[in-house]
Amino acid sequence: MQSQLSQRAVEVVHRAQQLGAAMSEVFFINSKVLTIEVREQTVENLKLAEERGLGLRVFRDGRMGFAYSADLSPEAVEEVIQAALANSRQTTVDEGNCLPSPVASYPELDLYDPRIRQAEVESKIELAKEVERVGREYDPRIKITESAGYEDSEYQITIANSLGLNASYCGAYCGLYLVVVGQEQDDNQTGFAVQYRLRYDELEPNKVGREAAEKAVRMLGARKIGTCRVPVVLDPYVATSFLGVLAPALTAEAVQKGKSLFASRLGQSVGSEAITIIDDGTLANGIASSPFDGEGFPSSRTVLIDRGNLQTFLYNTYTAARDGVVSTGNGVRGSFKTTPEVGTTNFFIQPGSISPEKLISDISEGLYITEVMGMHTANPISGDFSVGAAGLWIKNGELTTPVRGVAIAGNLAELLQAVEGVADNLTFFGGKGSPTIRIGRMTGSGA
Amino acid sequence: MIGKDGLKEILSIALSNGGDFADIFLERRRTSIVFCEDNRIERVNTGLDVGAGIRVIQGDNTAYAYTNDLSMTGLNEAARIASHAVQGENRHLTIDLRTVTSPVELIIEERPDSVAIDRKVEEVERANRTARAVDPRIKQVAVSYGDVVQNVVVANSEGSYIEDERIRTRFVVNAVAAEGSLIQTGYEAVGGHVGYELFKEKGMSPEAVALEAARRAILMLGARPAPAGRMPVVMSGEAGGTMVHEACGHGLEADHIQKQLSVYAGKVGQPVASELISVIDDATLPGKYGSYRFDDEGVPGQRKVLIKNGILQDYMYDRLTARKEGRPSTGNGRRESFHYRPIPRMTNTYIKAGQEDPEKIIRDTRRGLLVKKMGGGQVNTVNGDFVFDVSEGYLIQDGEIGPPVRGATLTGNGPETLRIVERVGKDLGFGIGTCGKDGQGVPVSDAQPTLAIRELIVGGVEVPISPNGEIRRLALKEGNRSSWDW
Repeated sequence: MQSQLSQRAVEVVHRAQQLGAAMSEVFFINSKVLTIEVREQTVENLKLAEERGLGLRVFRDGRMGFAYSADLSPEAVEEVIQAALANSRQTTVDEGNCLPSPVASYPELDLYDPRIRQAEVESKIELAKEVERVGREYDPRIKITESAGYEDSEYQITIANSLGLNASYCGAYCGLYLVVVGQEQDDNQTGFAVQYRLRYDELEPNKVGREAAEKAVRMLGARKIGTCRVPVVLDPYVATSFLGVLAPALTAEAVQKGKSLFASRLGQSVGSEAITIIDDGTLANGIASSPFDGEGFPSSRTVLIDRGNLQTFLYNTYTAARDGVVSTGNGVRGSFKTTPEVGTTNFFIQPGSISPEKLISDISEGLYITEVMGMHTANPISGDFSVGAAGLWIKNGELTTPVRGVAIAGNLAELLQAVEGVADNLTFFGGKGSPTIRIGRMTGSGA
Repeated sequence: MIGKDGLKEILSIALSNGGDFADIFLERRRTSIVFCEDNRIERVNTGLDVGAGIRVIQGDNTAYAYTNDLSMTGLNEAARIASHAVQGENRHLTIDLRTVTSPVELIIEERPDSVAIDRKVEEVERANRTARAVDPRIKQVAVSYGDVVQNVVVANSEGSYIEDERIRTRFVVNAVAAEGSLIQTGYEAVGGHVGYELFKEKGMSPEAVALEAARRAILMLGARPAPAGRMPVVMSGEAGGTMVHEACGHGLEADHIQKQLSVYAGKVGQPVASELISVIDDATLPGKYGSYRFDDEGVPGQRKVLIKNGILQDYMYDRLTARKEGRPSTGNGRRESFHYRPIPRMTNTYIKAGQEDPEKIIRDTRRGLLVKKMGGGQVNTVNGDFVFDVSEGYLIQDGEIGPPVRGATLTGNGPETLRIVERVGKDLGFGIGTCGKDGQGVPVSDAQPTLAIRELIVGGVEVPISPNGEIRRLALKEGNRSSWDW
């Protein structure tokens, strides 16, 4: 199958060149997905699917054209080639338009666990049911399952270009999730947990079930607090949400277009010494790991911010050519329908060496934030954010009662400078992750 | 695509292990986008997506399989996969497919797929130039044109068969303005179930859209930070309908109701809003972004009165939720694409216009916040708490429109807020967006007349946690410029 696709890819590139492309590149993907949603211990939805498609980039006279198709018949592919060439007549000439050359080797990664495919659908259903069962039995106040499920995916990617690059790989991942609602009198609180793994046997339904239920129950009866100025601690999920807003600002594309708060800050201190931010496309067990990126360039580990110092940005081949540097292997494709844009792979804050408990142990009064709302309104260009927060009150170094109705406003650049400590519990939510983070005093505005 | 005989065979295979209902959704979607940023036409992309989704329902359970192999072999295989998830007896149904017609007429004057790509590029370039010419403080402009032609066939085991074509065109401008260290953005988006005639409508030419986006970015440079706290709010008719979408729309979707995930559950016939409020979801409006002849289950689009003079009338149903209650679907079964099963969704949702002069409503407001344009929003339907951003807002001082404010987010509780609507204007203005639910995005529009609300919380202090419905306005975020996410 793989060699057939490689052969087909070479043919498409050859044909595009024949029709007048100066350079061309084809991206093929084949994928299979399975999702199982359970509710009240029965399978509510089961989805099994297969998909494939190709995306073609061509360059002519310094202009780029792109077209894609999910129909891979010879006629449809011929149409894609013609369309990409026609589209290339309309775009702006750009010297940065180029493709990566073949490389001697790619990082060796273990991305395909055959167990994911081999395991019976019945055992996957059982995992999803177990997650729900554990969550519902955790506490009598857990009354509603909003969603519970298992999903997995396997995929095969092939890239070939007219410079002779021709590469393929297979990968697979699986995951469990649970969203439950806890109820007590008139109060409803939602709790969720999610876990993605590259290996089937590493899924932990007990952990996911307990975590979701615990999050819902511990927020029941949350009281509103008044305005306060106290040390703030972000749990890994909330810290990851902030990191997600920061991600675009660390791409060379945003910097080149003047849309990054880090533009012109290279080599400078942009955060406290406690903070190191890394993108690693080769991370062992990383959901977003791959031998190469969406244009066939080898994946790599890039330290973006090293103990507070801004070291570099993320690059794909185009933005690297514009800056006269080498790509970091971050030409990411969302699917065969998109061109490879600068994006993150496994993107995380490097863990520290102390436990989360120790991190808060000397806080006499503080706010441990477990949920934020309105993060999408944060401005990735200016760094300004204003979010609503809920969480647990820290008293004498321990997590105590739930609180809600606090607004936290500030600027991401200032937040990075204010990091006082980073715990050792790096936790991933898909491709992004963070440990628990302690921030200096912030103002929480209460009602 | 495949003929009726083939579809009958596939539906029979889908039900070969039992099941109460099966349907197949065949889709062929052509898209075209032009994207300009940094004064460069960066992307001209075109594409074709094809696929089919096959669903089998047995009791409360759904099995779904999709493929983009549309050969008989590929579809039979997908039907077999879906059928395996069901445990029962083959009832050997004889399926007779009859073509269903829709009373909804949606006319496309100029098909976007018949327009040469260089004309689309020209519109984009004109918008880029126009926005940049507004003010030297406009530092960056992104313009995105997109059109989609989606052909679908839906057939089901109850014998209904439809063919439909949906054509949507949209145009979005994002402007970034900077002065010193201050950076502000403004955007404007237009679009509908229309062809290239979109640009002929008033205020929808590429220049008009560009001017509006640039004006807003510059205005926000001079805006002061929004005040915080509880205060009276006037929402302008031209502000769009984010509030109605979040404050009650999502909570009136039948799946949320049946799962007891909505504050509106069990409230039909009861007052849930001020008497001044009537809420309608209408898929039949000509040219609107959320309009259609048929939903994605082959049910004709309808106009539904959800709330009438404050009294809750009905919810929005797809086939599955309707079956559970033994009633007909309201034609709200939608899906993002063949990759997803249909679920109850909004179409064009609005609060019906009232009697009052919008200007008088503002004049009679002593102090408060005037929302001139709403941004995106989110809701937690379980408790009804919602939040949305204000992309253009002003203070109202003694009945006059005062200085602009930036960064305002408004929060409230759906039923509580709708009860304290005090005045309703006679105007009505639509906004467009991509509505997200269960990981699926669908095009919708929403609208409200000018509304005076006794008070809302400005500043995002009380916020809904764990939203399960949201709307994204079409402001461009990183990464979506080369894709067409509807």
